[in-house]
Amino acid sequence: MPQSIRSTTAARAAVFAPLGGAGRAELVAQRLTDAIELGLLSSGERLPSEAEMARQFGVAIVTAREALEALREAGLVETKRGRDGGSYVLAGSPESRITRRVASLSRVELRDMGVYYTAIAAMSAELAADRATDDDIAHLRATVDAADVDSQQSMRRGEGTFRLEVAALAQSARLVREELRLQAEFAPLLWLCLRDGEYRVASRAAHLDVVAAIEAVDGEAARRATTAHIGQAIEWLLDTKADLERTAT
Amino acid sequence: MTTTADLALQKCLDAIATTFDSVFAEIEGWRAVIEQRIADAAGMLRAAELDALVENLVVAELAAPGALIIGAGAVAAPGFLDDAPWHLAWWLGHANTFGLGSADPSVRRLEAEEDPASDSFRDYTALEWWRVPAETGTRHITGPYVDYLCTDDYTLTLTMPVRFEHRLVGVVGADLYVNDVERALLPPVRSIGGSATLMNASRRVLVSTDPHRPTGSLLRDAGDSHVLPVGASSLLLVVG
Repeated sequence: MPQSIRSTTAARAAVFAPLGGAGRAELVAQRLTDAIELGLLSSGERLPSEAEMARQFGVAIVTAREALEALREAGLVETKRGRDGGSYVLAGSPESRITRRVASLSRVELRDMGVYYTAIAAMSAELAADRATDDDIAHLRATVDAADVDSQQSMRRGEGTFRLEVAALAQSARLVREELRLQAEFAPLLWLCLRDGEYRVASRAAHLDVVAAIEAVDGEAARRATTAHIGQAIEWLLDTKADLERTAT
Repeated sequence: MTTTADLALQKCLDAIATTFDSVFAEIEGWRAVIEQRIADAAGMLRAAELDALVENLVVAELAAPGALIIGAGAVAAPGFLDDAPWHLAWWLGHANTFGLGSADPSVRRLEAEEDPASDSFRDYTALEWWRVPAETGTRHITGPYVDYLCTDDYTLTLTMPVRFEHRLVGVVGADLYVNDVERALLPPVRSIGGSATLMNASRRVLVSTDPHRPTGSLLRDAGDSHVLPVGASSLLLVVG
């Protein structure tokens, strides 16, 4: 029972945990670090100004400044003064950046990321099966067809659109907002397996399974297909990480 | 035989229709000004000119306290404007917290991605609020739906086509939060006395007297209930 007392105290403490400050700067820095390491922001690219970044992230300017400072310390950006002043992305080869990122996360973190994302995505799919009209289903299928299975970038983009559409079909604003937030946080890393042609084909098949389940008003099947699909992406990451660790030692 | 129940039902249908008609009347007014301006300019309009015009029309409405409209503006047909192939002139009301994080909302411009090469670009001509008025040539209520483009919330979007020389050159419209619509419409729907559910043309529930019939769910089978059209709105009221 002390366990439950502690957890109540912890839960209470979380209610009054300070908002903003260091936590937010870290979140902003992590978001930018991921984008740089995964090549979404490329070497030499100029980042928005502190003020602009603060506005876009919805944080204070001092928070954006703190995040940039962390990136400078990590050697991921350099700040120039003068007419062409601003913060510029510095980065090594895409391969080494991704390797660093996968290596920097523990297996526990990667799995937990998968569990949380699955909770949101699978519930979205289950609800969507109950709430999608024939028009919605046709539109969703068109989204799947629009992604080019030969292109990693197109499939990544298609993955994001598909998940977002499914969350929207669940008719839950909170699920959609959480899906968007998680895409910003996890998607570049989670869908690394789309580099692999075989996984792109499997991914398209998984999307079509989800669409078929939604069309059959079978929430259970939609949930299962979604869970399996995200599970594969996580297993791929864990295998990749294990390979990297083997070659490193 | 006309009973008090019939009268109550008619009053309810009128109240629902009036709620939407008054928003459409506002949009119709904006459309008239925009179409006139396009005609005056012989169809040659720049994005900044459309922006200034739309801002002038919608900002006062969005700033009004207690306004049902939480977003409004005009969206141009691809290629219509001289200097912007894709363009949204859309403003967000002070009750609209889209994309703000912790900052205080105020009336402001929606920053939409207009570059087709960008990852976050969306072809808006595929979306219902564009597609249906473009196809039917008449006003349309989209939703309830989760609008992740303009509100980030559960939304109804009311749109009408904008024309120049019988050609579709854009749509003009307004967003309403389903939250606010529920508050506005539940009293009249309840006033009928029995069980009643308001749904859209796709049979998606907007508001119901039955608390266990969730907004957003589909009423796949209405059983032996009566399904009544609500004015010219394309909404349906299921009674009994």
